[in-house]
Amino acid sequence: MIGALLYLRLTSLRNLVVYRVSRMRQPKYLVGTAAAAAYFYFVLLRRSAFPRTPSATALFSGVGTITMTFLCVGFSTLALLRVAYAWISPAEKPGLRFSEAEIAFLFPAPVTRKTLIHFRLLSAQLAILFTSVLMAFLFNRFGYLGGNRAMRAVGWWVILSTFDLHLNGTNLTLARLREKSSAFVAWRVAVVAAIALYLAAVVWLTAAFAKAAPPGDFSSAIGASGFIHALMDSSPLRWLLLPFRIVFGPYFASGFREFGMAMIPALLLLALHYYWVSNTEAPFEEGSIALAEKRAAAKAAALAGESPKIGGSRPRARSGPFPLSPKGPPEIAFLWKNLLSMRSSLLNRRMVLISIWVVFCLSIGLRPLLMARSRGGGADVVSPIVVMFCAMLAVYTLLLGPQVVRQDLRNDLPNADILKTYPLEGWRLAFGELLAPTVILTLSLWLSILVCAVIIDPGGSIGWLTPGVRVTTALCMASAAPFLCFIQLIVPNAIMVLLPGWYQASRSRAGGIEMFGQRLIFGVAQLLVALLAAAPAGCAAVLIIFAAQWVVGAGPAIGLACAAVLTILVGEAAVGLWWLGGRFEKLDLSADIR
Amino acid sequence: MIEVEGLTKRYGAFTAVRGLSFTVRPGEVLGLVGPNGAGKTSTLRCLAGIIPASEGSVRIAGNDLAVDPVAAKRALAFFPDEPRLFDYLTVRQHLAFVARIYGVVHYEDLARSLLAELELVEKADVLPGELSRGMKQKLVIACGLLHSPSVIFFDEPLTGLDPLGIRRMKDSIVRRARDGAAIVLSSHLLHLLEEVCTHVLILKKGDKVAVGTLAEVSTQFSNGEPNVSLEEIFIRATGGSET
Ligand SMILES: Nc1ncnc2c1ncn2[C@@H]1O[C@H](COP(=O)(O)OP(=O)(O)O)[C@@H](O)[C@H]1O
Ligand SMILES: [Mg+2]
Repeated sequence: MIGALLYLRLTSLRNLVVYRVSRMRQPKYLVGTAAAAAYFYFVLLRRSAFPRTPSATALFSGVGTITMTFLCVGFSTLALLRVAYAWISPAEKPGLRFSEAEIAFLFPAPVTRKTLIHFRLLSAQLAILFTSVLMAFLFNRFGYLGGNRAMRAVGWWVILSTFDLHLNGTNLTLARLREKSSAFVAWRVAVVAAIALYLAAVVWLTAAFAKAAPPGDFSSAIGASGFIHALMDSSPLRWLLLPFRIVFGPYFASGFREFGMAMIPALLLLALHYYWVSNTEAPFEEGSIALAEKRAAAKAAALAGESPKIGGSRPRARSGPFPLSPKGPPEIAFLWKNLLSMRSSLLNRRMVLISIWVVFCLSIGLRPLLMARSRGGGADVVSPIVVMFCAMLAVYTLLLGPQVVRQDLRNDLPNADILKTYPLEGWRLAFGELLAPTVILTLSLWLSILVCAVIIDPGGSIGWLTPGVRVTTALCMASAAPFLCFIQLIVPNAIMVLLPGWYQASRSRAGGIEMFGQRLIFGVAQLLVALLAAAPAGCAAVLIIFAAQWVVGAGPAIGLACAAVLTILVGEAAVGLWWLGGRFEKLDLSADIR
Repeated sequence: MIEVEGLTKRYGAFTAVRGLSFTVRPGEVLGLVGPNGAGKTSTLRCLAGIIPASEGSVRIAGNDLAVDPVAAKRALAFFPDEPRLFDYLTVRQHLAFVARIYGVVHYEDLARSLLAELELVEKADVLPGELSRGMKQKLVIACGLLHSPSVIFFDEPLTGLDPLGIRRMKDSIVRRARDGAAIVLSSHLLHLLEEVCTHVLILKKGDKVAVGTLAEVSTQFSNGEPNVSLEEIFIRATGGSET
């Protein structure tokens, strides 16, 4: 059985690697993988460059203790809540996690339940081993705490394995209780109450300790980490947290001796868990089948290009953003459709954006107040901050916005075949698809330009910055904004059209390292294009303003520069659009996604 | 009217379709038949202008697909094997969207009669996620027929439907042909096409094995034996094995 499992995993892995490597014969995949590899080499494997002076080491180990404590508290809380959730709302039929293919082959096979459980545990082990090694490298930064990578990896392995075993044990116990015991509900209430009591006790004890402790020096990391150590050693808490201390012990060990000592109780606890899981006789098959079906459906939905539904909420039918008449340019139909799809799937993100903007609008209201203060002789510190915030938001909108607002070709990738039967040239189709995100990003830019224009008022201290110049500049920037957004949106769409396979992989959550490399390239490409697109326009603007302001004055010079900038940006957008449309016409989805 | 001359489709070094030539006149229904992987979908995707043909020419309603794709596409409708819909558009909004794309100015009446014919009236304000597979397929068809195409392609239109659905789909296809459309449909089952097709073209690994009316193809492969079933003819024509 175990041989079969190993065969299955190793063969799958080998085939995956062979497939990926053979795909690298296409230069686009080779380049992508190389980028990811380079990043991993430089960021993860390179030695960390922290200073090694004693005071710096103390400081860093203080910060490290705090960070790691938060990490552990976070992980433990999540684990505890996850277990509590399993007890509060057990699945209709609790089960173990198998894939559909595994169920089809294994469940009818002549093996015992115990063997199936072992199969499940072992196959989880392979994933856990991989994750442990990866985590040890990822959190390499805490190297100054002592210990080495191998010990950290083992530490992670202990933590993840214990959690995996505990969750499996919980599910099996639940399945058994549901079948055997009439007091199923009573059992659940009791366990949930125990967990709640435990959590309450820990929180209360922590609060009590904090109150009783002398007002320590929390301003420095060293002081804070000292507090944490004292807290963990305080009497009742020490015993209450014992299970977690055991599990996290090897991970925190700073030397081989300490590590060995910590491993003994940790392995004992792990063995207890193993005994629990392998000796719980429970009917888990039906639950596992239901679970596998659910997971397969979610995966299929992701592959089909649907965004994961948060909280399982389904999209609701809505009326269009404006009435769509059958006459007129067909591009507007795409704007209409994409705005419509945005309204349901982007609602949460939009709420965030809106609340940010409310804050900004309030800042406009604050302006008279600020003015009054600066007139009273006080320095105005608020408006530079607001302006900086605005500028940062504008930069984010231009660089990250295109990755966030993706109601364009990217969302329509699964429907590419249908789009291509429409009687539209490729560029018109691409133009229509890009309109909706362009509108959203442009609105965001306009707001930040507006806030800046209102807030920046040196009040005559800079001679040439007259209200007229300010208004002209704001208007010119506002008129360039849509074209900049449009050019920035061409980038992710072009990447998708060039690398549809990669793009799909990132949506199915199965991309792993490839997906990471992809994100990296996306970001770099976005930045590069932004610079390349802005450079000629920016140079032209500077030259024109510099040359013309002597002749016609600042305001008209800015207007002149704006005309040049617009011409350049429109030209760039047109070339990009024409190219994107051509690529889309040639795109064959079935060639990449197979 | 569909005119195909020497259509060849290659994926890299692999040739999926080799030198197909045929003509489908208004009112005719050509069944593209062959085992899985024979090249039916590739052929249809080339005919609908989704992927470019490697060689050969395709004329749709007199317009060469390579020279004037927009005019050619204006006259055609393509129905893929899986119903493809927009997740956030209701049935009615799908029709409004398609009407704008094709510039169907007075689409409301046509849309109403299509919805009635396809029994979608009650679902007019529902998102695709709440529709059954059969109803999704109907919606796809309503969208495709809104601009009154004169050339229609169906890829595996009968797969995944229940017997009643198959019956209705067949009726619907026959009705479009009677109204003067030139239709090509694909299937890996010859006997399902019996009542629908005026002509069949049997494909095997990208090659044309036989073409003609159903009767002609039957006599070609029955070797003079009487009462050979269409299933048997299909197996003889394609060598039986699936590749
Ligand atoms: N994008 C593609 N790239 C490479 N080979 C393909 C691609 N699409 C289809 N094929 C191959 O072309 C052949 C014909 O496929 P297809 O037209 O889908 O057949 P059918 O629809 O008759 O089942 C198959 O062998 C398939 O593997
Ligand atoms: Mg097919």
